[in-house]
Amino acid sequence: MSVLTRIELPQMQRLTVAQGDSVASGDPNLMYTTVLGSCIAVCLYDSAAKVGGMNHFLLADPAPLASEEAHLLNRYGLHSMELLINAMLQRGCTRWALKARIYGGATMREGLGDIGRRNIVFAREFLANEKIPILGEDVGGVSARRIDFRPAAGLSRCKTVDVTPPEKIIIKPPPSVGDVELF
Amino acid sequence: MSRQILTVDDSPSMRMLLRAALTEQGFTVFEAEDGVDALQKLETLTPDLVITDINMPRMDGFGLIEALRTGHACAGLPILVLTTEASDEKKARARNAGATGWIVKPFDRDKLGAAIRRVLH
Repeated sequence: MSVLTRIELPQMQRLTVAQGDSVASGDPNLMYTTVLGSCIAVCLYDSAAKVGGMNHFLLADPAPLASEEAHLLNRYGLHSMELLINAMLQRGCTRWALKARIYGGATMREGLGDIGRRNIVFAREFLANEKIPILGEDVGGVSARRIDFRPAAGLSRCKTVDVTPPEKIIIKPPPSVGDVELF
Repeated sequence: MSRQILTVDDSPSMRMLLRAALTEQGFTVFEAEDGVDALQKLETLTPDLVITDINMPRMDGFGLIEALRTGHACAGLPILVLTTEASDEKKARARNAGATGWIVKPFDRDKLGAAIRRVLH
């Protein structure tokens, strides 16, 4: 007769990371999840603080957009990365302890040009500038990806999925973007 | 002679973006990567304005503002905070510490330029 012990695992709370979001947590019962086409998700982890974070952004292909709008979107890529890093720092992370993984940047359909590649290049260049090592990446190709990331453990899982996520470029500035207040 | 600005931000990408925006508007830009680095640079530099981030390692923006306001040499130096933070609590803390103004990232080049010109007027 076999003796099996049933182990009750805590219920994992899943939080969907939508385009424009930047989140971080050290909650061991939390899992971030997102589905990416041309978009990029960067997962950051600080193993000493046991805190992880994830964002989800899409930059512009300058061709179909006015240059000012493309510039604006690239600024939001930078903004998304800064929000992510700040969220990590506010939870006790150290900037030089951060390690990254990059996901996404697929070419989902011809009409979208090489937006996916531009997103990949942006993410790699940003992380190189910030001296944040890239531990791994699953990028490019023609398939959508689903990413699950457990921030407290720094564990991520990437699976190709047979869905077409929305590729609409969403400009999602904070409500007070660029506001100036002189005291 | 162009006016000189010291930018303080731990993100090299953000410093690069700021440098591009400010030099385009005719300012001379110096850079520091956090509050400690800024204080060291200010021992030899005499900028017309400091633009500082809040969330930085070693010494954050609040610490930098407080240090500058207690030092006689920089007591009157205008300091603009440029940050992703938008909470009233942090804004009030910066104002009480002696900041001159508060700008929320991502910044608009024209709004930033206009704010700088008003402060330096």
